[in-house]
Amino acid sequence: MRTELLKLSTVRTPWVLLAAAQLVIVLGAVGPFLRGGTVDPAAVRSGAGHLGLTALFALVLGILAVAGEHRHRTVTDTYLGQPRRGRVLAAKLGVHLLAGVGFGVVGAVTALATTAVAVTVTDLSADWSDAVLWRTVGGGILWNVMFAVMGVALGALVGNLTAAVTGALAWLALVEGVLGMVLGEDAARWLPFSAGAALGNLPAGAGGLSQASAAGVLAGYALVLTAAAVAVTGRRDIT
Amino acid sequence: MNTTGIAVRGLTKRFGAVTAVRDLTFDVPAGAVTGFLGPNGAGKSTTLRMVLGLVRPTSGEALVGGRRFADLPQPRRTVGAVLEATGFHPGRRGRDHLRVVARSAGLPARRVEEVLERVGLTDAAHRRVRGYSLGMRQRLGLAAALLGDPQVLVLDEPGNGLDPAGTAWLRALLRGLAAEGRTVVYSSHILSEVAKTVDHLVVVNAGRLGYAGPLTGLTGLTSATESLEAAFLRLTEHV
Repeated sequence: MRTELLKLSTVRTPWVLLAAAQLVIVLGAVGPFLRGGTVDPAAVRSGAGHLGLTALFALVLGILAVAGEHRHRTVTDTYLGQPRRGRVLAAKLGVHLLAGVGFGVVGAVTALATTAVAVTVTDLSADWSDAVLWRTVGGGILWNVMFAVMGVALGALVGNLTAAVTGALAWLALVEGVLGMVLGEDAARWLPFSAGAALGNLPAGAGGLSQASAAGVLAGYALVLTAAAVAVTGRRDIT
Repeated sequence: MNTTGIAVRGLTKRFGAVTAVRDLTFDVPAGAVTGFLGPNGAGKSTTLRMVLGLVRPTSGEALVGGRRFADLPQPRRTVGAVLEATGFHPGRRGRDHLRVVARSAGLPARRVEEVLERVGLTDAAHRRVRGYSLGMRQRLGLAAALLGDPQVLVLDEPGNGLDPAGTAWLRALLRGLAAEGRTVVYSSHILSEVAKTVDHLVVVNAGRLGYAGPLTGLTGLTSATESLEAAFLRLTEHV
């Protein structure tokens, strides 16, 4: 675990991704206020909901942690120091679970602070006692955690960095939507991004699963991906 | 302790339809420098990677000091390896790379400065690996291999990219390590340099063993460059 933490802290990628995530959150949270008019709780929520969307950055970071080691061949050194590959994978999962918490919490602070500033500047009001707002924030943090773990598992499973990152982003941006139309709404809401949107209370997740079931579904995906990753990791030849 | 040689027994590796290594059996003795020679594609790297537990043999086994690599309690303290000059994250600083390796092996941080000094990289240690020349990457790889003060060194073309002074430095380093009783095996295509450096030779061709034994056993009593080249070409002309 400590080795994996040091690996993360000695490159700039996590900070770049974290910064990019904050930019998305700030823009997302300010958006409803810029449009003027009345700002209802739903708008504040949807602003805060962008925090969940940044799970995409946590996902990419997770993929980079494993597939990036194959890309840069550092995995050779990693396994020379720890030939028990299961332990390496477990350490990466643990560290990125924490990184996911970090992305989620930092994102939550950014989203709420941005909203607070926007409220002050525009003389509009936000309902801070809105329970749904806080459930949105909590769901968004959890979404980051789930996608961070899924990213590690996916990176370990695919191995090829370019394929893993483009595959994951293409899935989220395109494939899941197309597949959703083929499968119909009832089945589509069980797909990863739809489940994430439901967990993070995104408008896109409306009509989908409840937050609790969505969390369960994502945990299921994380477990299945991890099990597959463990199986593949032990057999892979590092050439 | 003079017993930590490498024993390769009936080692075979197939990648799909291609048999990279066929039934290789040889010993690498301790207290000597062993040259590992063969044409491109002869299976040298695959064999070294099987010794290091990175590639799973189809059959047979490779033992280091009587144990499989994965069963070594502290691999970095037993075996140091340089496999390719590209196994670094380009955005990580040289010193940080060694800190990661040291941390993963549970080695004290002061070893980082010691090996930097030994390979002559102290002045460049604060720079990111992206800006390193090939020779500097080779030195960084060697530094990582030496971190754990290992009894066994496995080096895949460590001389590539070194300038004449670096080549002489590497020769002295390898001779010195063997004189301390360590096991040193390295692959190379530069036969004139091999003839000046090694005591022992293993030659493979098309995945099969061509020769294993003392240098003088192959070249006769005169271990001149010409005769090693002539012997090598004779051994490897038939595929």
